[in-house]
Amino acid sequence: MKIFEMILDNVNYIGAVALFLIGLRIVVLHTNLIKRIMGLNIMGTGVFLFFVAIGNVSGGVVPIVGANQENSVFVNPLPSVFILTGIVVVVSITVYSLSLVIRIYENYNTIDQRELSELISEENNEH
Amino acid sequence: MNIDQLPILNLILFILMALIIPLLKRRPFKITLILGFIVLIFVTISSGYLLWYVNNVRDISYTFGGHESRYGIEFLITPFSALFTIVVIVLADIIYIYSSGDATDGIEDTEYGRYYILLFILLLSMFGILYTNDLFNTYVFIEILSITTCAIISIKKKKDTYTSAFRYVMMNEIGSLSYLFGVGLIYMATGYTNITLVAEAVEVAFVNYPMNIIIALGFMVVGLGIKAAIFPFHIWLPDAHSSAPSTSSAILSAIVIKVYLLVLVKVLFNVFGVEILNEMNMPVILLILAASAMILGSVFAIAQKDVKRMLGYSSVAQVGYILLGIALVSFFGLRAAFFHIISHGLMKTALFLSVGEIIFYKKTRKVNDFDGMGFIMPLAMGVFSIAALGMIGIPLTSGFISKLNLGIAVLENNYIIFLVILIVSSLLNVIYYLPIIILAFLRNEKYHYRMTTIEKTPRTMIFPLIILGTVILLLGLFPNTIMPYIEAAAKVFFS
Repeated sequence: MKIFEMILDNVNYIGAVALFLIGLRIVVLHTNLIKRIMGLNIMGTGVFLFFVAIGNVSGGVVPIVGANQENSVFVNPLPSVFILTGIVVVVSITVYSLSLVIRIYENYNTIDQRELSELISEENNEH
Repeated sequence: MNIDQLPILNLILFILMALIIPLLKRRPFKITLILGFIVLIFVTISSGYLLWYVNNVRDISYTFGGHESRYGIEFLITPFSALFTIVVIVLADIIYIYSSGDATDGIEDTEYGRYYILLFILLLSMFGILYTNDLFNTYVFIEILSITTCAIISIKKKKDTYTSAFRYVMMNEIGSLSYLFGVGLIYMATGYTNITLVAEAVEVAFVNYPMNIIIALGFMVVGLGIKAAIFPFHIWLPDAHSSAPSTSSAILSAIVIKVYLLVLVKVLFNVFGVEILNEMNMPVILLILAASAMILGSVFAIAQKDVKRMLGYSSVAQVGYILLGIALVSFFGLRAAFFHIISHGLMKTALFLSVGEIIFYKKTRKVNDFDGMGFIMPLAMGVFSIAALGMIGIPLTSGFISKLNLGIAVLENNYIIFLVILIVSSLLNVIYYLPIIILAFLRNEKYHYRMTTIEKTPRTMIFPLIILGTVILLLGLFPNTIMPYIEAAAKVFFS
């Protein structure tokens, strides 16, 4: 039962690490380039979830000083602010790599890593 | 104006220049070039002044918006960051002059502007990484740097650049996210992202939450290791560096990977501190990685037929030397690593630019085609030889001084085995650099007829090569001129 409770208490962190690892597996092992980009996004989501989970305080409220909230516990807003920047960064990386995939498809007519490597090694042998 | 604002002014100038370039699209390209050059000269002067100031007066600390450093972003200019910003900007000046000749080969005319936009954003992010004293801010600048480096690789409309840029972007992103995970873990344990404050709190945090700190250190070293092409994570480097245009390769190999290594130095020594590193046996792990990089990088380089791929693998080996200096965790080791960062920056720039000139005129990248090249392009090949001899570590070049310093640092720690590895690696360097020089200059009879085909090189391409060649020799003869600055930079981490 103790393990069960521990999992329940840390479910945020466990979820974040799981997402990170799932994403890493997709980036490293999949051959489809677009799936690899999606894996990158999943990895990023894992890290973002981790940050947001750090900032959470159980029983905390939104950190805006209002009329009725003067004595309550606030959630730490700083990690969420970090993550806003992080999301923008990952979006721009996604856009850039998708545009690279378009160029690769125009040139090689495939977005499969294995076929791509074969095509490239054939070309190198011709020279 | 307050001196504290000078670093910010440098960054603003870069970003303004990057924004102005598209507006000047319809004007002759010369205007853009001259304007960019003025910006670079100004930043060089101000970085030089900052270097003098931090070495003689005091460190500069600037917090944005006047917030306390635990909430806001702090820029901290120490002798360390001032020294390396000036190294970055001087190398960038030289590469800029070279690229303003027609060496932007393979890029279409209409895209010259884009190349320079990327160059200025690249400089902005590198200055930011060196100035900032905030872990999360470092992450943001690292991401700007990785997007711009990927874009600068794939700027040529060639097939193979797209695939190598794609691989680079994937590896880089795994690295950045690992680093960010590390920052998250540190924030969780200490509650700060400011490096100075983290360093104060990390000892206590290591006692209370040892798992957090251990995992954070692992994530950050792996993340930065991928970006700095430390040995097992180097697989992206040869492809990316060889398919990029020559000027981009020079920037990537000479400056960008060094910046990541400097971030690693900051993270290891400033954030975690020597005691935690020793407790977790980090120096031993890094020493093993460094030794394998030094040997295997050179072994791979021997097998290459393409000159630029060979230079790429040689960079892997040289990162090993720098990592060896860092991993010794001593003042002398760090001093040797810093000196090697500077001297390798100069030598790799010289190698890539001279090879770039040869590729530009002779359209060949095969090592075998370099026979007799010394008679056709004496200047390019001469600078190539000086830099290659420097890589091997022949006396009178700056490469010798850095190997000497590394040797002293290794002996101070009584690691005789690493001295042996250092020498073996130097001998391996001989195997792949020396034949090129010998074939280029000594195998002459067959190639004398080519003497007539000497092409007139633009002055903007020759001038940087001459500067690089002389600076490499001068640093080899008078290393003491820059030693005080390097020692001051190393003292930042061992106060």
